[in-house]
Amino acid sequence: MTLDAAAIERLYRSHGHIVLRRARALLGSEPDAQEALQEVFAALLRAPHSLRSAASVVGWLYQSTTHFCLNLIRNQRTGARLLQVAPTPAPAAAGCRGEALAELRSLLSRLPAEAATAAVYHHLDGMTHEEIAGLLGCSRRKVGYLLERVQQSLARLEQSA
Amino acid sequence: MIPSLAGRTWNACFSALQLDRFVTAEMTEGEAERLRVHLTGCARCRTALDELRAGSEERLPPLRVVPLSPRSRVRIRAAAAAVGIAAAASLLVMVRPFGVRTKGSFALAMYVDHAGEVRRAAPGEVVAPGDAVRFAVSAPADGYVAVLSLDPKGRAFVYFPAGGRAERVQAGSDLPLPLGTRLDETVGEERIVGLFCPSAVELEPLRLQLEQGGPAVPGDCQVTRWSFVKR
Repeated sequence: MTLDAAAIERLYRSHGHIVLRRARALLGSEPDAQEALQEVFAALLRAPHSLRSAASVVGWLYQSTTHFCLNLIRNQRTGARLLQVAPTPAPAAAGCRGEALAELRSLLSRLPAEAATAAVYHHLDGMTHEEIAGLLGCSRRKVGYLLERVQQSLARLEQSA
Repeated sequence: MIPSLAGRTWNACFSALQLDRFVTAEMTEGEAERLRVHLTGCARCRTALDELRAGSEERLPPLRVVPLSPRSRVRIRAAAAAVGIAAAASLLVMVRPFGVRTKGSFALAMYVDHAGEVRRAAPGEVVAPGDAVRFAVSAPADGYVAVLSLDPKGRAFVYFPAGGRAERVQAGSDLPLPLGTRLDETVGEERIVGLFCPSAVELEPLRLQLEQGGPAVPGDCQVTRWSFVKR
């Protein structure tokens, strides 16, 4: 599927809320989430052919948003380390879910990219192993392995904390 | 201590991906019917779906049609700083003005990104198809801004904002508008109309009037007119 600029503008209006909602949950910062919203669609404007091989527009938006947000989380962590300052804690949504999201963000910045992506799809979006495998383009077995690595990383962090 | 991330933060039976596909009508009829049947007996999924639907009604900000690269943004800021406010005023001279009416200090500046090099448009600017342009405004007070254009074929467009009404900006000098555009292949002289209004005027009537030889600008708006040549 290839889109012209007008079609991308319509897609932004009809599907942009999906990007914004997930970016807010992942980043915990409204300005960063707004930037993610713009950048995901800017990437599509720069390379509209990237949708050609996507089986699902919604799935493509999930992939792009996750990729952008995880990069930002990692860059923020790297920047904070370089400046030797503590990362600004992102405001979490109220309640247990907010705490879990803050915890998930902290964990994501320490995980390899593929494992972090699988963790987002599983914990934030509630995807099955089959759905995650579809978006990552790998086997369900690989997804199980990645999520196991996530749990192992978490266990190590718990021990070192 | 880091608490255990034991389960999912998403607690519906169907994933967010599937519910989003349902909301955006991307599911096949079979998939959608299966979900509809499930929803009749599952309060958690109904709640999750209601939340997604509520979120889908949020009004989004305008899409930056041509977001400049981080490198370009730095150059724009550097260019604006180097030029300075006094010099900037001289660069805001309108190019081939026609029927100009200005009051106060509302002004419109234009930046052009040609092959990754950003420059500030000067009087008589010649640009090329495919160049990205982005406008900056100097506003004497908080107000509402819009930028319209009339291309060489007589077609009018709204460059800024993406919505149907002029968009609010704060008072300030050389503030980049968050929406750019990439110039199409139509060569010739393109006319630009910048509006600064005390209210969020509707733009579609003005766009139509511009195509018909207007526009009849609302009396309480300030207007700045430009043109540039594309070849």
